[in-house]
Amino acid sequence: MRYAILLLGGPYSAQAAHSALRFARAVLARGHRLEGVFFYHDGVQNAARLMAPPQDEPHLVDGWVGLNAEQGVPLMVCIAAALRRGLMDEREATRHGKQGHSVEAPFELTGLGQLVDLGLGCDRLVTFGP
Amino acid sequence: MLLHILNRSPLSSLVYRQAIATMGTEDRLLLIEDGVQGALPTLVRHFEALEGRLFALREDLVARGLAGKCDASVQVVDVDGFVELTEEAERTVSWY
Repeated sequence: MRYAILLLGGPYSAQAAHSALRFARAVLARGHRLEGVFFYHDGVQNAARLMAPPQDEPHLVDGWVGLNAEQGVPLMVCIAAALRRGLMDEREATRHGKQGHSVEAPFELTGLGQLVDLGLGCDRLVTFGP
Repeated sequence: MLLHILNRSPLSSLVYRQAIATMGTEDRLLLIEDGVQGALPTLVRHFEALEGRLFALREDLVARGLAGKCDASVQVVDVDGFVELTEEAERTVSWY
């Protein structure tokens, strides 16, 4: 089956991101396809490039990047939710006259239309709220 | 049949009432995160309308020291079982 995940919870403030990552791994382990993870609301904070949690805690960015590296799972970040929280890639940083950037590949800034497409193009969309 | 997913304890949020009121007669409810507290014998009465259709996630029970303390009416599943429940349902609805 084709799965997709919508993540609305921020990292380390709600369990949502940990739940979503665990669910994503289980989906893949059962032989399903994961068409994408969409990060929305505070969930966009999961894409923070500079995230540096203590070494004995799960590293969420590394977890998401691992899903992309091993299974090619697209990591889509809502651009409107990201920009207002200071999360932007190099292109947006230049456009807004900011020094440095906080989002990098494989995370991609996208619009809500991508979420609609993701929902329409999969068999199961599972939401993890804060 | 829809799978409803609840991550709030009945002690901290009344959203479980909306979930139950919305559920169809065949729908199932999976308790995850702090929601697993609802599987305890002292709290499971809030879900009595769902007899046989109430599930709780084992990993979140274990993380809270609640493994083995669930009411007998609750079916405990691990994350693999969580995925299986989503396979069996047409869609999922998350309550938080």
